[in-house]
Amino acid sequence: MTKKIDPFQRMLLIIIVVYSVFVTIKNPGFFQIQTVFDIIKTSSTTMIVAMGLLVVMISGGIDVSFMAIALFGSYTSLYIMIQTGINNLAFAFVVSMAIGIVLGLINAVLISWLKLPPFIITLGTQNLFHGIMTTFISDKSFGSGVLPECLHKFGQGTLFKVATANGSTGLTVSLIPVLIAGLATYFILRKTMIGRGIVAIGNDEESARRAGFNPFKIRLFVYAYSGALAGMMGIVYAAQVNALYPNKMVGDELMVVAAVVIGGTKITGGQGKIFGAVLGVLITYLLNSTLIMIGLSSSWNNLFVGAILVIAVAITSYQERVKNRKHLIFTE
Amino acid sequence: MKKKFLSVVLSVAMAATLLVGCGSTSDNSSSDTQTPAAEESTDAAADSTDAAADNKGADPADYKVVMVVKQSDSWFDDMATGIEQLKKDTGLNVSVQVPETGDAASQISIMEDLIAQDVDAICVVPNDPNALVPTIEKAREAGIVVVTHEAPGIADSVDLDVEAFVNETFGELFAEKLATAMGGKGKYAGFVGGLTMETHMAWYDAAVSYLKANYPDMENVAEEPYEDGNSVEGAHDKALEVLKAYPDIAGFFDCSAQGGGICEALQENDLGGTVKVVSLALPSMSATYLKDGSMANGLCWRPADAGYAACYAAYLIASGQGVSDGTDLKATGYESISLDGNVGYGNAPLEFTADNIDDYNF
Repeated sequence: MTKKIDPFQRMLLIIIVVYSVFVTIKNPGFFQIQTVFDIIKTSSTTMIVAMGLLVVMISGGIDVSFMAIALFGSYTSLYIMIQTGINNLAFAFVVSMAIGIVLGLINAVLISWLKLPPFIITLGTQNLFHGIMTTFISDKSFGSGVLPECLHKFGQGTLFKVATANGSTGLTVSLIPVLIAGLATYFILRKTMIGRGIVAIGNDEESARRAGFNPFKIRLFVYAYSGALAGMMGIVYAAQVNALYPNKMVGDELMVVAAVVIGGTKITGGQGKIFGAVLGVLITYLLNSTLIMIGLSSSWNNLFVGAILVIAVAITSYQERVKNRKHLIFTE
Repeated sequence: MKKKFLSVVLSVAMAATLLVGCGSTSDNSSSDTQTPAAEESTDAAADSTDAAADNKGADPADYKVVMVVKQSDSWFDDMATGIEQLKKDTGLNVSVQVPETGDAASQISIMEDLIAQDVDAICVVPNDPNALVPTIEKAREAGIVVVTHEAPGIADSVDLDVEAFVNETFGELFAEKLATAMGGKGKYAGFVGGLTMETHMAWYDAAVSYLKANYPDMENVAEEPYEDGNSVEGAHDKALEVLKAYPDIAGFFDCSAQGGGICEALQENDLGGTVKVVSLALPSMSATYLKDGSMANGLCWRPADAGYAACYAAYLIASGQGVSDGTDLKATGYESISLDGNVGYGNAPLEFTADNIDDYNF
């Protein structure tokens, strides 16, 4: 990516390393390959939607409906598969992503047409999509017994396995969709005209329009892309938990927004890095999955995670201010 | 201009869906509007109690009872089928309200709605019992009967709390099953849905103290239970962490019905069946794990029967017939409840193994 790693990301890396060292000192059991594999697996779903959200946020918008889209897409496609007995993983992904694209386009059309803040629109569609699903499709939960076999295979699948002290552990196949999402996002943002358009309308829509970009078309693309990734994530999620619930995922979107913002994406648009978003997601997962390691009891959960997140954001924003001052930019 | 108007209309509509989304689907069946005046004189039972019997008789069709469950999942789906059955059996005007999210706030807003509608009785399975007390008091001041399930701790604030069994006994059953599966020795960890979930905590405490007293070779790895947040994903992620922090762990018990997540985590590490799992379980969600051996035992009570019994008890109280020691709540395991203060205990624990799991289809 960039030749020189920017201070923002360097700071995040330092926080990750320092925190990991701290946990290792408290509990040497943290320092092993299994930890890496576990974090890759548990953070994979968030990584995928974080990529979609990143693109939306760079374009100057925001999407808080992606979890509802993920749920709608995965629930509907798997519901069809359960009812008809189709046992094909590609079918699950294609249907779920197609639904995601359609719902994303609805978001984009509403935003462009109504000229309302994307936050309000997507907050509304989040409830709308979820409501449509539970009302018109189904609101039953399905256990592992009735789900398509291929889904469980995918969820439990590993690229390779390593023996551990008392069993074995493997690198999850869920890494593949994450890589696809990451590479596609990189390609779009860096190598295509539409990617330049996304950054341009995020910085200033009017200037972008005068430069010849069509903000409406770009917005259509951006929300459809976010929807497609959400649909993909939904299937990965269902495969990992090996159960289908009509009410999961929705409600967790702000954690993803936080992760992307921690990764240095400007909430006003025009700026954001894939690597930053990845680091942001990693930090939130690292914090959430090491409490047992350092021996904190459950009642500490929120206090601890909240405190570290605030500190991380404070440090990174301080860095940003120092950098801006150096360049004689005074934003506050 | 036209666009502006449209945008206002649409945003209002959207805001409305937000509100409606968490709201109610009350079915005003027209049948309950006709309250025959004759009935008032025939039934004398009404004046014998303090309940809000107004001037209705004992005809179940005259009473509107609403069950507010914790959230939408297969457990409460089954409870809803039990309540459907009650409606069919007795003609009681009973329905179920499902909160969008599993927290106290959404239950409170549903209850506020029901108070405004002036229903006869509210049954509720509280997510956080103490948080609901002010709303429950408000409902009772409005003359509405409130019956809880899974909340013996706030029994003084309600008309009746219906329990499937004495919680300590059920917790000890968890402990006994886990000890048997683990051969009476080794490290174990306990999960609950959340630290504020009263019944989960009661089972957890009873199980831990039972194990401490009877199996000195078994050791609990943490002082507090771990929270799975009532989600399979939560149970899975926490189990992975526990496995790393305590590689010599030999058993898990989960007081929330998410033991499947622990089994998934064990299978990923090739530990399925080696590390024992005893969990609160629903046949539809746990059958595969019981059959492949990664879950040793599933414990349960029938949500359908509990919902049936709670709503029937609510009707008995609302109609002035009252509930006393030995009252028959018409559901399996609740044929003769034992009343302790405001808590009515049934005797309805269910135990699943690989052999009997197929006998249950909820």
